Amino acid sequence: MTIRLDDFTVQFDQGFQLSHINWQIEPGQHWVITGTNGAGKSALSAVLAGAGDRLSGSIDNLPERVGVVSFEAQAELIAAELKKDDADILDVISEGTPVREIIFDDCANPETACDLIARFELDYLLDRAFRKLSTGESRKVILIRALASNPDLLVLDEVFEGLDAATLSMLEQYLPTLANRVTMVMVLNRFDQIPEFISHVAYVEHGELLHQVRRNDEKSYAELYQLLHLKTTHLDVPPIDPDTEIPQLDSQQPLVRLNGISIKYGDFTLLDKLDWCIEANQHWQLSGPNGSGKTALLSLITGDHPQCYVNDIVVFGYQRGNGESIWQIKQFIGYVSTALQWEYRVGTSLRNVIISGFYDSIGLYSKCTDKQRQIADQWLALLGMRGRSDQPFNKLSYGDQRLLLIARAMVKHPPLLILDEPCLGLDDMNRQLVLALIEKICAGSETSVIYVNHHPEDCIKGIDNYLALK
Amino acid sequence: MSNNYFNSLPLRVQLAELGKCRFMHISEFPDGVAALKGKKMVVIGCGAQGLNQGLNLRDSGLDVSYTLRQAAIDEQRQSWKSATENGFTVGTYEELIPTADVVLNLTPDKQHTSVVNAVMPLMKNGACLSYSHGFNIVEEGMKVRDDLTVIMVAPKCPGSEVRAEYVRGFGVPTLIAVHEDNDPNGEGLTLAKAYAFGTGGHKAGVLMSSFIAEVKSDLMGEQTILCGMLQTGSLLCYDKMIEEGVDAGYASKLIQFGWETVTEALKYGGVTNMLDRLSNPAKIKAFDLAEELKGIMRSLYNKHQDDIMTGNFSSTMMADWANDDKELLGWRADTAETPFEKMPAGDMEISEQEYFDNGILMIAMVKAGVELAFETMTAAGIIPDSAYYESLHETPLIANTIARKKLYEMNATISDTAEYGCYLFNHACVPLLADFMKGIKSDVIGRGLSVDDNGVDNARLIEVNAALRSHPVEEIGATLRGHMADMKKIV
Ligand SMILES: NC(=O)c1ccc[n+]([C@@H]2O[C@H](COP(=O)([O-])OP(=O)(O)OC[C@H]3O[C@@H](n4cnc5c(N)ncnc54)[C@H](OP(=O)(O)O)[C@@H]3O)[C@@H](O)[C@H]2O)c1
Repeated sequence: MTIRLDDFTVQFDQGFQLSHINWQIEPGQHWVITGTNGAGKSALSAVLAGAGDRLSGSIDNLPERVGVVSFEAQAELIAAELKKDDADILDVISEGTPVREIIFDDCANPETACDLIARFELDYLLDRAFRKLSTGESRKVILIRALASNPDLLVLDEVFEGLDAATLSMLEQYLPTLANRVTMVMVLNRFDQIPEFISHVAYVEHGELLHQVRRNDEKSYAELYQLLHLKTTHLDVPPIDPDTEIPQLDSQQPLVRLNGISIKYGDFTLLDKLDWCIEANQHWQLSGPNGSGKTALLSLITGDHPQCYVNDIVVFGYQRGNGESIWQIKQFIGYVSTALQWEYRVGTSLRNVIISGFYDSIGLYSKCTDKQRQIADQWLALLGMRGRSDQPFNKLSYGDQRLLLIARAMVKHPPLLILDEPCLGLDDMNRQLVLALIEKICAGSETSVIYVNHHPEDCIKGIDNYLALK
Repeated sequence: MSNNYFNSLPLRVQLAELGKCRFMHISEFPDGVAALKGKKMVVIGCGAQGLNQGLNLRDSGLDVSYTLRQAAIDEQRQSWKSATENGFTVGTYEELIPTADVVLNLTPDKQHTSVVNAVMPLMKNGACLSYSHGFNIVEEGMKVRDDLTVIMVAPKCPGSEVRAEYVRGFGVPTLIAVHEDNDPNGEGLTLAKAYAFGTGGHKAGVLMSSFIAEVKSDLMGEQTILCGMLQTGSLLCYDKMIEEGVDAGYASKLIQFGWETVTEALKYGGVTNMLDRLSNPAKIKAFDLAEELKGIMRSLYNKHQDDIMTGNFSSTMMADWANDDKELLGWRADTAETPFEKMPAGDMEISEQEYFDNGILMIAMVKAGVELAFETMTAAGIIPDSAYYESLHETPLIANTIARKKLYEMNATISDTAEYGCYLFNHACVPLLADFMKGIKSDVIGRGLSVDDNGVDNARLIEVNAALRSHPVEEIGATLRGHMADMKKIV
């Protein structure tokens, strides 16, 4: 029978909630739940074993016998054992419940239990007290108990964690043999550990079930992998390239100072006497409805708007219109927008797209160095695109192109990164991918970010200055 | 009355000037725009070249302003709007010319005599006058004041491209020259190089040439292969497809976007690459058709080159100028009425390869046109580098304009001089190819070869491949594209 969760909201101790979960587990399916730490993966798996207090919505057809292996289950059992000690009013020190009892009391399938004990080579500790076992040992015991309970559903929460290599490989071989008998839901953080028999992957974030992907939907599966990769790996920004290093700026001076700037087209005034000062290490969100002049304002900064020559603009120490060249300005700026992506229709390789960021060019027109190639490859690895350096850019998915252009903008470690509606036109998963990358960049200290957006839900941690155009 | 400067020169000098052309390496531009730093550059006219060159020069840190004729300022014409909206200072000749160190004459060629005569008296002693096309100097024999330096910086691309490539961080191939009669301080070359650098041209390749070589090759290229051949080919191929019962929307689309698609292959690997995109039987077919076309059209190409060399072409055109452009405007209106121009492109999908497979005749026409133009120019003493840029290199750029809005767009983008030459060519070429076209069927235009003619003779294929690869335009093309590819891996 299909397990159904319909708009299910459930509360746990300490106030954690899973909200509005819609999920169906059909017979024959095997799921992995994944997500970042604290996202609610374990909670979601525990729900299947009846955990949590329902607030609204429904959960139906939960099987009667659910085998659970998790740190929580393990901890509970150990706590219960320790409690027995406390409860013992006699002075004699209790030995605690022996492993044999833990496994074989109420065991539905003693044969399986014996088989597993042999496989795990656990004979030697059957007579020891459960609470005296090491974590790894007690984990195995819990595992045997769950597997031998003839469950209809097995919930395996990070079951591979804390196992020695031999046990791990034994388990990896054993689980597939169960696949056609029992539905399995596993919590896993690493894609490379997902067993072959898994048919679906669920992605949880902030207590919500955000994505459900079929294993054989290669594109979505790959995107989910990337998302998890970006969310869970530490951002080690690849180094700068000494050959194209940009000049040091005076850290006391603002990066950008716009004094009473205006943009006019004929009789029409787009921006009127606007002041804006961006200090080093400030992050800004720029918002405003369509046509309010966000992009025009930014292009005054980048020098792409011709009226930058008739306004009072100081950027990176240059008072505009005094014989500076546009390339002297652009070297300090990383820039990403939908328009840039449209412009970038060239059939060049992913690596070259990233390297072009060193030269502020669209396309690559300069001979590049080995060092630059190496840095580009590091960026690709960071984006979860390792080994794809020679693939053509125009064959990438729209979302991947966006990620790559952000990397292109960041490759020279610019003092200012301008992201003009970086999520525009992206589906949900890709939006989160892009936001994850931006959040990481904001967390670094050397680059100030201007983030343009009119979706309030796309707000980014770390941005605390706001300019709203009308 | 104008005086043909080229014809006034002794043969020895004519030949020397025609043969002047050297590809400059990017390392020859170590000083960048320094020679123009702090100097006042005043552009006359704010059209396709004027606006886009000015934007580039300013973004390279130079001081650029615009002077327009009084009427354009008073009526706030498009040129005035373009200049002011882009934040440039705009003034009358009297206000700005006397302050100028360099005056950039970027008005239509037809207006040059009157414009230069108007501004010359206002120019500072020792200033520089620059052109982007040498027609006025070479064909009209404009005499410039002795103290003025006269240079040319001619981007080999439409103005929109000049800007777009700069913004991408690149540039367009550019030809520079100094007018020998007007280089009193010997600073012409230095100024021209700095100017070319300011437009981004140095990144894509600068050819150091002469006014004469530029004019004679530019005219030849634009009226034959670049515009004339594409116009004639469009009209003939369309009519043939209709005659053969090909769907009109399909025929219109195949041509409108076909030129762009097949000539894109030229950018990467010349004529050889364009033909390599075909199946073996189709390649041999295209080769044979091109040979036949070259036989028929060679005399016409020669005639165009001869008329350009003798000045016959320019005097014919100038007569039309004097006659209020009667011919030009009439021909322009006729073009708008052709069946091809009037039939909108259908909305069917045509894959990239299908443009090749079903456009064998178009490919043959491009091959014949490129090779003939190149052969004719080099036979007339023009250096292969220059002949390459004026033929093969520019073909895809012009083809792009047809993809945008058919022949209308092409003729609107090119100069009036090119447009006039294009119509001249077309009027002679359409009747010239009438017999040839009688033998053409939809297998080479519109439908593609049927699959059962897949066999080819090995010896013949080897022969065709060798002939393709050994044509001189392919040899110089490989070298020049090599220079470009050093910098531009992606084109
Ligand atoms: N188009 C090309 O592909 C190309 C390529 C390389 C070089 N060139 C050369 O560049 C030069 C300019 O060509 P273009 O295509 O840029 O021309 P264009 O687009 O027609 O622009 C000409 C400009 O000159 C102004 N103008 C016209 N008649 C004038 C007059 N009598 N007095 C003063 N100003 C006048 C026009 O403004 P108003 O009418 O408002 O005054 C307009 O702004 C030509 O020498 C051409 O051969 C062109």
